[in-house]
Amino acid sequence: MKRILKKLFSNVSSLVGIILLLFFVAIAIFAPIIAPPLSDDPYQVPRMSWDEDPQPPGFPMSDNMKEIYQYMGKKVKWTKAIFGTAQGGYDIFYGVIWGTRTAFKVGIITVVAAMLIGVFIGSVSAYFGGWLDETLMRITDIFLSFPFLVAAMVLTTILGRGLDKVMIALITFGWMGYARVIRGSILSAKEETYVMAAKALGVRDGRVIWRHLLPNTIFPVLVQASMNIGSMVVTAAALSFLGVGAPLGYADWGQMVSFARNWIIGKPGHAGQYWYTVFYPGLFIVLFVLAWNLIGDTLRDILDPRLRGEL
Amino acid sequence: MAKEKLLEVKDLKTYFFTEDGVVKAVDGVDFEVYKGETLGLVGESGCGKSVTAFSIMRLLDYPGKTVGGKVIFKGEDLLKKSEEEMRKIRGKEIAMIFQEPMTALNPVFTIGYQISEALKIHLHMNDKEAMEKSVELLKKVGIPIPEQRVHEYPHQLSGGMRQRAMIAMAMSCNPTLLIADEPTTALDVTIQAQILELMKSLLQEFNASLIMITHDLGVIAEIADRVAVMYAGKVVEYTDIRTIFHNPLHPYTFGLLTSIPRLDVELRRLNAIPGFVPDPLHFPKGCKFNPRCRFATDRCREEEPPLVKVEEGHLVRCWHVDRVKEEVKKGLLVGV
Repeated sequence: MKRILKKLFSNVSSLVGIILLLFFVAIAIFAPIIAPPLSDDPYQVPRMSWDEDPQPPGFPMSDNMKEIYQYMGKKVKWTKAIFGTAQGGYDIFYGVIWGTRTAFKVGIITVVAAMLIGVFIGSVSAYFGGWLDETLMRITDIFLSFPFLVAAMVLTTILGRGLDKVMIALITFGWMGYARVIRGSILSAKEETYVMAAKALGVRDGRVIWRHLLPNTIFPVLVQASMNIGSMVVTAAALSFLGVGAPLGYADWGQMVSFARNWIIGKPGHAGQYWYTVFYPGLFIVLFVLAWNLIGDTLRDILDPRLRGEL
Repeated sequence: MAKEKLLEVKDLKTYFFTEDGVVKAVDGVDFEVYKGETLGLVGESGCGKSVTAFSIMRLLDYPGKTVGGKVIFKGEDLLKKSEEEMRKIRGKEIAMIFQEPMTALNPVFTIGYQISEALKIHLHMNDKEAMEKSVELLKKVGIPIPEQRVHEYPHQLSGGMRQRAMIAMAMSCNPTLLIADEPTTALDVTIQAQILELMKSLLQEFNASLIMITHDLGVIAEIADRVAVMYAGKVVEYTDIRTIFHNPLHPYTFGLLTSIPRLDVELRRLNAIPGFVPDPLHFPKGCKFNPRCRFATDRCREEEPPLVKVEEGHLVRCWHVDRVKEEVKKGLLVGV
């Protein structure tokens, strides 16, 4: 364990990943200080004006907006849109800052849940084998045969809009990789004599899987999970971008990008006029995914030449 | 002294149902193990020795299946027990020692943890008690500085040490029967002798019985009281240790005996048994040893001989015991 941490910190690319990740963690933790919420629901991105078209960075909150907040009894703690506003006057800075929390939530919850399901199905399937393995693996195949994004989109549409629905959809179609990976490693590990030795000592099947097999086989899954957090966030953002994700005005990177949909090219004669609408949320997404991938890559490099006997 | 029967295996049949056909790995094996006694199970690789052991423990997975026979342990048929009852017997009543001490220990846990596991499961000890007992056990199997060793991982131990730790694991719950599947094969000769000595003294101390599975007749001579020689899934000769070396009667046993190097007889070459172990999918008709046997006659090729009692406590599966006896008399066949 110590060795893994040491390597993670001595490798340049993983160090960059870790620093980026810490930066995002800091943003997520200090979000209420960096961008104090103006309304009761901190995940509701405040609007700076009623303008339909985006406003450039530094845009001050319009007077009628201020009046509304004052009328609602809220203190207007800040009035400048540092990153500009998106379509409809939504503040981009606030959106990306609070969107970091959303990203962590979506990424970690979906990956952990998908991993648990996948590891459970994969390990049970591999350990017991026979018809159980056959059944579970065919089910896995069925789930795998759906294109991930399309399947997630359809399911979210059926379930309705909302971040929780997005997560359910992502989990439903995101566990198969883990099941496959863990099944493969357990299939080879269960032939090891120590598994037979454990059984010969009267250890229960569940305990054999949990205490003897998983500690020997879980690392590839952890690597996959760390790489997957980024892609889960991207997919969630994609769903939001397509309009089936987070509800309107919810602080979510995908939502912020989707606000930019009509403005990406700018006005005739002013190409890229509204660059900030897509640049800032896009930058956050890219860096977040990059951070996880860098860490995952290094983890894989460290763990690949089996750390057997070196633990 | 009337000996008490601890384990009785009767007509045990374990088949593997593969895609290519049914492999009769163990096809009607009989033997008994008496209390405090050691039975040697000898045979070439693939003759069904290990499968017999796993069948007794009921540890075979698909496609292997025990299709017939009885395994009577302390008066009860193990094959009729539920999985849960069986689990309580494994490790507590019957324990196993494996061939490869390198792989039989889980690389990610400390020695102490692995010995403790059985103690916690069967004797319901808490962590501290189990750890103390583990230290005691390691001391008993002759591992120096056991207090320190319990906290080490398998890769930090040498092969001999690991096998000692395995023995400690197996003996942890005072089993009445120990099954050792080639426990010394992976060790070098000096360590082999030490391990055998250790096992002998432990068996005496715990008053346990042992089934010693091996292909090494030297090991058998060292430790066994009685011997069952297996060939192609069947016991071909079953007798006590003196008789197997001094008065063997099955041609295959002769083959085994003359293929080991000896110090007292000058031989330029070792005798090898001609031919190969038959393919378990296509066993020869009749006696399974007939293609490799120089005594073979048409009868051998047609009819499988039964395991017959030739004299008290000496069973042989051969049609030509008389011819073998004759050749021994003439000095053409020599035992040890």
